[in-house]
Amino acid sequence: MCYIIITMNRQEKTRNFCIIAHIDHGKSTLADRLIEKTGTLAKRDMQNQLLDSMELEREKGITIKLTPTRMLYNFEGEEYQLNLIDTPGHVDFTYEVSRSLAACEGAILIVDASQGVEAQTLANAYLAIDNNLEILPVLNKIDLPSARPEEVKKEIEDVVGIPAMHAPCISAKDGTNIEQVLEMIIKEFPCPKGEENGKLKCLVFDSYYDNFKGAICLIRVFDGQVKAGDKIKMMQTGKTFEVTEVGIFVPNPKTTEILRAGDVGYIACSIKTIQDVAVGDTITNALDPCQLALPGYKKVQPVVFCGIFPVDGAKYQELKDALEKLKLNDASLQFEPEVSQALGFGFRCGFLGLLHLEIISERIEREFNLDIITTAPGVTLKVKKTDGQVLSLSNPSQLPNPVEIEYIEEPIVKASIFAPPQYVGAIMELCQDKRGVYKGLVYLDSQRVRVDYILPLSEIVYDFFDSLKSRTKGYASFDYEMAGYEKSDLVKVDILLNGEKCDALSIIVHKDKAYARGRNLTEKLKKIIPRQLFEVPIQAAIGNKIIARETVSAMRKDVLAKCYGGDITRKRKLLEKQKEGKKRMRKIGSVEIPSEAFMSILKLDDEDK
Amino acid sequence: MNSIYIHIPFCEQKCFYCAFASFDKQFDKVEKYFNALKKEIDTSPFKLKIGSIFIGGGTPSAVNPCFIEQILRSVREKFQVEKDAEITLEANPNSLDEKKLKKYFEMGINRLSIGVQSLDNRQLKTLGRLHNRKQVFKVLKTAKKAGYKNINCDLLLGLERQNFFQLKREINSLKKYVTHFSCYMLQVEEGSPLKVMVEKGKVKLPQDDKVAQQYHKLAKFLKKNGFEQYEISNFASNGWLCRHNLNYWSRGNYLGFGLGAHSFIDGTRWANSSSFDDYFIGKKAFTEQLDNKQIVEEIVMLGLRCCLGFRLSQLKKYGVKLEKNPYFNEFLEKGVLKAENGVIKINPDYYGVSNLVIEKLIDF
Repeated sequence: MCYIIITMNRQEKTRNFCIIAHIDHGKSTLADRLIEKTGTLAKRDMQNQLLDSMELEREKGITIKLTPTRMLYNFEGEEYQLNLIDTPGHVDFTYEVSRSLAACEGAILIVDASQGVEAQTLANAYLAIDNNLEILPVLNKIDLPSARPEEVKKEIEDVVGIPAMHAPCISAKDGTNIEQVLEMIIKEFPCPKGEENGKLKCLVFDSYYDNFKGAICLIRVFDGQVKAGDKIKMMQTGKTFEVTEVGIFVPNPKTTEILRAGDVGYIACSIKTIQDVAVGDTITNALDPCQLALPGYKKVQPVVFCGIFPVDGAKYQELKDALEKLKLNDASLQFEPEVSQALGFGFRCGFLGLLHLEIISERIEREFNLDIITTAPGVTLKVKKTDGQVLSLSNPSQLPNPVEIEYIEEPIVKASIFAPPQYVGAIMELCQDKRGVYKGLVYLDSQRVRVDYILPLSEIVYDFFDSLKSRTKGYASFDYEMAGYEKSDLVKVDILLNGEKCDALSIIVHKDKAYARGRNLTEKLKKIIPRQLFEVPIQAAIGNKIIARETVSAMRKDVLAKCYGGDITRKRKLLEKQKEGKKRMRKIGSVEIPSEAFMSILKLDDEDK
Repeated sequence: MNSIYIHIPFCEQKCFYCAFASFDKQFDKVEKYFNALKKEIDTSPFKLKIGSIFIGGGTPSAVNPCFIEQILRSVREKFQVEKDAEITLEANPNSLDEKKLKKYFEMGINRLSIGVQSLDNRQLKTLGRLHNRKQVFKVLKTAKKAGYKNINCDLLLGLERQNFFQLKREINSLKKYVTHFSCYMLQVEEGSPLKVMVEKGKVKLPQDDKVAQQYHKLAKFLKKNGFEQYEISNFASNGWLCRHNLNYWSRGNYLGFGLGAHSFIDGTRWANSSSFDDYFIGKKAFTEQLDNKQIVEEIVMLGLRCCLGFRLSQLKKYGVKLEKNPYFNEFLEKGVLKAENGVIKINPDYYGVSNLVIEKLIDF
């Protein structure tokens, strides 16, 4: 009896929570401040944005991956264990947010006190509500002169629909009112209520690969306990392992003896095969398993696809390894082998959005030191053929002949754009231009409106976000959800180099835009393709019909320098260097194109903006 | 054939575009230098029959002809110089006079390579050359009188305000005196005064494309006038090809004496140091033994820069089958290369872009 009281007491002194916010509202800064205030790390060990451990995260100022931290905080004479799970804010990473939410009982909702409720504030708050989390609104950046806390509190109540009058007004930057946040975490958030003596039940909410310890599972223990030496079982894959180590994050990994119900930490079991760990899986004791697994996660569907190929064809296997390792803690990343006539062997990869695509390709290049070529991103199309067959395809090169197509359906999204009222005109103009269908306009308050549109997803993956930002001076924020498929008049535009079709450069666009895109593509390629021995015609074509043409004229001279005093060595070395410099080139028929060409075709020209 | 190159690193004034091992403020070192040069020749471990000698620079005509005479004597004492050997001296119009020309002729020099560069006095000034148009013709006439039958003129392409008509006029006025033209494209070398002048906008050089166009027109024009192109930059009339250069390009043996001079004997290349102090103590800049891959690279590179071409069977010896290179077949098909009795040659129309062709062929 006595034992139970003690353990109940232990869980009562635990709070598991996450921080959710719109991008750039100060999530990582608050996390840093909490870690500092609780003395989890000495001040000298603090570096800004502590939990954003990836080089890329710090550079871009965004959080991509989840990172848990255990903090100890003394409140009214009692020591509390606070487990914080940081979450990403960008729309592409909604999936990751929902993963961390499932491991928590409470969520701090940060709102910028001058900017107010933004698209992701709303989206993340709803996610937390769906997960039955207690939500604690916090107003950040109170130190800014433009802060309008009272208005924003009202906005939160009106728009999000949660009480906000008692929300702490803080400045994560200068540390104002951080204690108040800690106090409210303890007072407002429920404690975990697991059965410590029950059968082991843990949620794997993330994982990563450690070269020495194998795959590391980040877990939340719901019931029971786990320690080194235990035999555990992955309920989804059915694989069993012996635990070699358990531990917590403070915020660096630290070995502990045991993890009990209510705890957040990690398990290492020398798992060498990445596929054996599925994020969202439930871990239980192999000898004394629980009956029912945790609900886990809804499998996310990638919406943006592109081909990824190694620049050096011999590095296919290395690219495969890299993708597998990245998938280990990014379940949303999907890939399957693809063969391109132009680029050889590679992968067709699916992403949650363009930013996700960009992040993954940068991580491959930086963390795995691989040079890659990414092709133009596209969406999954449904093609009804005249013979009744329905194809679902994400690769332009698989599109059947126009004569075999009865109709094509493309995915559409419901988009909500939040912005100050003076930009409504510009936003609507952009949406119309992107083949959008107007759905409504809501005045949230005197400062903000919400514009609702139905838009084709393919228009969003192209350059929508950049255009929106530049047309609204960065004030607009944007969120979307998938809204099914719609018939659309789409055509495939092929690019021919020296008369030969380059499959990796094909794109699918709306008929009305085909000519403009074709012209735009040929012009861009003309700038990118260096002059060669022969003239290179660049053509854009729909079927057999040429819609645009440019020409790269032939190289006239390379070098006519003096070969002096028999210095052949210098000449040979120059030539070898020149040859080496061409390694990043791809040969399409008889034309050499730099690997940047494949990606640059998505970049905007000024006139498109 | 075996050749000898002798480097004379002294100039009255270094040209503004020059990046070679030559010096205009080191005349106090002339005597010491020629002593070192003589020693280097005298102690050479090689015994070769010599078919060509090239005395280059710098400006060999800038030093007292006695020094040249002494060096040639050393060479003849050490090596067996063939009776009809081609012996070239590089010279600048301003440092040549009748006396010197006669003296050179007497010591056996039978080919002059004159750094004319341009006949436009303003262009010459921009380049930092010390001569003018008038001097060029005076020197050429005097040389003819002195008995020289084989004379080359260096010309530069890509000069400020230069156009094809100017080049045409220059060729027309020079052609009766010379047997050979070397036409190089002006390169703006890193660290040269010309580079600074271009950066500051004091000199405006024509666009590459324009120069390339002039080059192609010039090649045609020279051909019409009896000067056959036999290398990227070289044109000869009546068979007066430069045997010394052909020996470089056919990978014959050669010994280089003097500052920064390169040698190539039986597959080994080496070079002397380009600093006086290091040269005086006999320091080498490098020595390299070519591997099979490098040998093939050289055969292709040198063969396709000139009229010699290369034999496919020669590459086979080093384990390279060019026929398997898709570019090779493409080039043959498109007429960039021609195959004649197993010899691969470049179409002279593609001399100007030979690096592009070569680079593709040595991709193994």
